[in-house]
Amino acid sequence: MNMSETAATPDASTPAGMLEVDLVRQARHGDLAAYDELVKRYQERIYATIYHMTANHEDANDLAQDSFIKAFQALKSFRGGSSFYTWLYRIAVNKTINFLKQRRNKHHFSLNDLDYNTEHNPDLVALISHKTPLREAGLTELQKKLNEALMKLSEPHRMVVVLHDVQGQSHEDIAEIMDCNIGTVRSRLFYARQQLQGYLSEYAKST
Amino acid sequence: MNQTEQSFDELKRLLKLKQHEVPPPGYFNNFSDQVVSRIRAGEAGGKQTYVERLEVEAPWLVGFLRIFEARPGLIGGLATGLCLLLVVAVVLDERSEVASKSLLTVSQPVVAAPDNSVAALTQSTLVAAADPGSGIVAATNPVTSLQPVATLFGQPASGSLFQPVGFAPVSH
Repeated sequence: MNMSETAATPDASTPAGMLEVDLVRQARHGDLAAYDELVKRYQERIYATIYHMTANHEDANDLAQDSFIKAFQALKSFRGGSSFYTWLYRIAVNKTINFLKQRRNKHHFSLNDLDYNTEHNPDLVALISHKTPLREAGLTELQKKLNEALMKLSEPHRMVVVLHDVQGQSHEDIAEIMDCNIGTVRSRLFYARQQLQGYLSEYAKST
Repeated sequence: MNQTEQSFDELKRLLKLKQHEVPPPGYFNNFSDQVVSRIRAGEAGGKQTYVERLEVEAPWLVGFLRIFEARPGLIGGLATGLCLLLVVAVVLDERSEVASKSLLTVSQPVVAAPDNSVAALTQSTLVAAADPGSGIVAATNPVTSLQPVATLFGQPASGSLFQPVGFAPVSH
């Protein structure tokens, strides 16, 4: 999920070694090999964003695929004003928000897919080493609480939290992805964090 | 802002844990292949629906339509409002029609003089034309007079409908 995972190989003659701009140019002319490489570069990040919004792997998989397909179909309208990555994110975000609006009452939680690294995460170790309710609550329970709290937020607020606090995107990038100004991003983030702090008060006490 | 940022530190650490919610290894092995094959299938079959094209070309319109989709009450209210408007329009139209008809019937009973009888009969709605002088009333009631006639002056009627005018003496 890190940026380093998508680093290009030195061989510039293969799609894997090409710059993003060249890949986009070739994909616009219908080169599916070039587009395949673009999908590989962004699939995990797009998938993760959608997953954190939907809390369901099947929905995330379908929506991520749909987003990439829609992006390919709309490539001709991509003017290059923003980066391909931001443009792709915008498609995925809009698709996800529309999906969630349509299925507002349908909540799914995948509770058995924490990777093994979680147990060794320093933040988590620090959290559960203190005398907190986390000691009693299992990781699954914590994940469930986190997902439930996130699901209580409106889609735009949840999206800002996911993009910033989970995925580490900058305010500027989020503003571009969500087609709003930075002030809106900041205020949504603040409001969303306040809400989450209320929902997760027993786990996340303010200092 | 720094103080508020600090107050969310615990929350941010909790949220960072969500980064570990990843699918099992190998999950993305065929992901791009699936996307590309779906694109190929779509190109081959021209599968892009009208709605999909609209989503790309006019996302604002799709968004507008989805407001109705997400809020069925809104579209219900709008439909009810339109129906009410239609009913009001029909009622108003009927009222104005009645008013104009009453005006017409007040001005229509024309006593047909021998000279202007043709002009009187060519009025738009010929309700009744009476000639008190001759003691004959012309009746053009479609219910009583519109019937198939076998012969007309002894000639075959060729199956058409005639609307004969019945003349009856007026009893004083």
